[in-house]
Amino acid sequence: MLASLLRRLIQAIMVILAMTIIVFVGVNVIGNPVDILINPDASQAEYARVVAHLGLDRPLWQQYLMFIQGIFHGDFGTSFVYNKPALSLIVERLPATLELAISALLIAIVVGLPLGLYAGLHPERMSSRLIMSGSILGFSLPTFWVGLMFILLFSVQLGWLPSGGRGETASFLDASWSFLTADGLHHLILPALNLALFKTSLVLRLTRAGVQEVLPQDYVKFARAKGLSENRVIYTHVLKNLMIPVVTITGLEFGSLIAFSVVTESIFAWPGMGKLIIDSINNLDRPVIVAYLMMMVILFVALNFIIDICYTLLDPRVRLDTKGK
Amino acid sequence: MSLTPTLEMARKAGLGLLLGIAIPSMAMAADSSLTIGMSTTFTTVDPHETSSSPNNAASRHIFDSLINRGGAAENNPQLATDWKVVDPTHWEFHLRKGVKFHDGTTFDAEDVIASLLRARDKPSQAFASYTRNIKDVTESDPYTVVVETTVPDPMILNSLSRIRIISADHAQDSVADFDSGKAAIGTGPFKFVSYSPGDRLVLERNDDYFAGPSEWKNVTLRMIPDNGARLAALLSGDLDLIETMPAEGVDRVENSDNLQLIRGQSTRLVFLGVNVMDTPTAFITAKDGSKLDKNPLQDERVRRALLMSINRPAIVDRVMQKNGTVADQFVAKGYFGHSDAVKPVKYDPEGAKKLLEDAGWGDGFKMTIQGPAGRYVNDSAVLQAVGQMFSRIGIETSVEVMPWSMYSKKYTTGDYSVFLGSWGINTGEVSNPALAVVAGRDDEKGTGRYNGGGVNDPEINKLLDEAPRKPLLEKVSELTFNKLWILPLHYENVVLAAKKSISYAPRGDKYTLAYDVKSAAN
Repeated sequence: MLASLLRRLIQAIMVILAMTIIVFVGVNVIGNPVDILINPDASQAEYARVVAHLGLDRPLWQQYLMFIQGIFHGDFGTSFVYNKPALSLIVERLPATLELAISALLIAIVVGLPLGLYAGLHPERMSSRLIMSGSILGFSLPTFWVGLMFILLFSVQLGWLPSGGRGETASFLDASWSFLTADGLHHLILPALNLALFKTSLVLRLTRAGVQEVLPQDYVKFARAKGLSENRVIYTHVLKNLMIPVVTITGLEFGSLIAFSVVTESIFAWPGMGKLIIDSINNLDRPVIVAYLMMMVILFVALNFIIDICYTLLDPRVRLDTKGK
Repeated sequence: MSLTPTLEMARKAGLGLLLGIAIPSMAMAADSSLTIGMSTTFTTVDPHETSSSPNNAASRHIFDSLINRGGAAENNPQLATDWKVVDPTHWEFHLRKGVKFHDGTTFDAEDVIASLLRARDKPSQAFASYTRNIKDVTESDPYTVVVETTVPDPMILNSLSRIRIISADHAQDSVADFDSGKAAIGTGPFKFVSYSPGDRLVLERNDDYFAGPSEWKNVTLRMIPDNGARLAALLSGDLDLIETMPAEGVDRVENSDNLQLIRGQSTRLVFLGVNVMDTPTAFITAKDGSKLDKNPLQDERVRRALLMSINRPAIVDRVMQKNGTVADQFVAKGYFGHSDAVKPVKYDPEGAKKLLEDAGWGDGFKMTIQGPAGRYVNDSAVLQAVGQMFSRIGIETSVEVMPWSMYSKKYTTGDYSVFLGSWGINTGEVSNPALAVVAGRDDEKGTGRYNGGGVNDPEINKLLDEAPRKPLLEKVSELTFNKLWILPLHYENVVLAAKKSISYAPRGDKYTLAYDVKSAAN
């Protein structure tokens, strides 16, 4: 377990190193952030002063070394645009994205799992067919379109829910959260549903496929023959065995919910990290881009690790140390 | 001083205007609230850190300046009540008495000095173009300051209207202190309540505002750059007023019972830059693709033919969906430096063909034109349309658009032959765009930094070397646009949409200021 943890840690560090180098070189190739930041009226001398202030007058390798040095002191650089530490900018917006992603994931599991189970157990029923066709829609409709339709229907026509923004927030653990206030929850419903739509369909279809694969297996037949109650057969024998692919996918998808929720965030004016990273890329705000991507690498590595632990809990045959050898 | 009588009049007019507004609004100061959907994001509440339009517009809600800039770029008194020129490099300003900061402290000369010097010395240098001539600021008494400039600077009032006055107690505070609200203490019409970056700034009326309290008790500035989302929020009633009304929703708003469109002309000029310095120029070849030995753009007749081939009224009408106004020079009539002697160029494709023939390019040539995508209103669509119109007079044109972060570096350095450029003329006068776009490039003087066409007209350079006075600037307009050193396309319009219950007069600089939003009943 410990060895596996250590190995992953080293892998993560290698990935981060490679990623930072790519970002440094990449941003440098695209253009000069000063050209975008500076007031177009500025004179040559003023321009040079800003370049020096941002440290962009040094050769790229020096800038990179300074950045690496900073990391060891917990300093991920200062945003060119906001003139605030890049890390705190990201952390400031993390709660918004996190609560959106978690809500979406919860919706996906709470709705997708039972429906998938139902559709798998009773594939011939009309209602199952309806569910399956519905999931195709959930898969194929583009998020931004559905989001706009949600707004048009629920905010513009019916006036039930707000069209965007986070609403009132309450403070918890030094961060502000929307789900702790009624108004915030009200604001959270539409974006969370929008983000959950695709994932719900995914969980639903995975579950259904899993059920149909497990049902004809001998141990299910044996359990039934033993006279176990249908509930026990389904919840202990069927569900547990189909969970491995579901857990893998949901885990990975949770990462992508956090990293790529930008479409939903911009449609619902949700001030999360997705909007920040897009703005930063447009402004070539290198410190924020690098810090954000580093967090994402760490997030994905951590998620993978958590998924693997879940495997061992679900399936005693899987052991972390022997995996991948 | 010939300046004094006009200043006196402007001051009286300005004060009268302010008082006229103040009286009815005090009478009906109810618990009203206003929510504005901004189309761009501002990055901080610190008024001296970044000088982008959204930042400057947002900071005006909390902070005042010495000079108040009106919607058509006129300079009115704000924290300075009047001023005089002591000698060409010394300006004396008398400060308004009895003005209080939001924290209750009294405003005086110390705050002015701290603010102007803070703006000048900030490492981000965002306000450098306004502060670079400020040598020193001194106080002769608590309500009189003298601004000393390094050179005679007739534009100093313009510059001072840009710099917000903060409390001297917070001059050393960081960006984070301003964003948390600790240092966001001004004398302006609204007090800071909360700020959530990338999302909203919440404000509350300053009941003691010297020009009279705003009509709105609670004001929220929400940043919603996504067009669809901003429009939807207006339709659902969450917002009262939105900036940059997306063209695709115009019908819907016009047919609505309780919404209205508000249009006005901005000072942002969109133009085509033409490379007149390189022989030959990189993106023009003969029709068979072989190299040319000369640059057709150096011939004024070719430039004129290009402009004549562009149906600008149609572009403004259809491509821009009426979100633009055809332009013939740097600034529209009424602005400083506009010249009636500039001859407008009419759409005339037949005449254009003839001109090309006269110039010896009857067979046309092949050209690639470049522009940014998503930087200006419908920029890439405009460029596509222009390309097609060029092709119609026999110039085989292909169009290349790219993201701003790639384009911004290259178009200023003369890499392109014909390219889309734009300049937001925030000073509302001609010297500002002319120095950047058509003055000869001189790194030492800092002129011509955006002169991507390499224009180098000795007459223009000489005129711009002198202090910017009206007849000189008019002459610059004439020289630039009668010789067509750049091809003017249009001014972007300011298009807002709002509930019918409110009224707002759009400003040339596109700022949306809650203080100027009125309920329509008045």
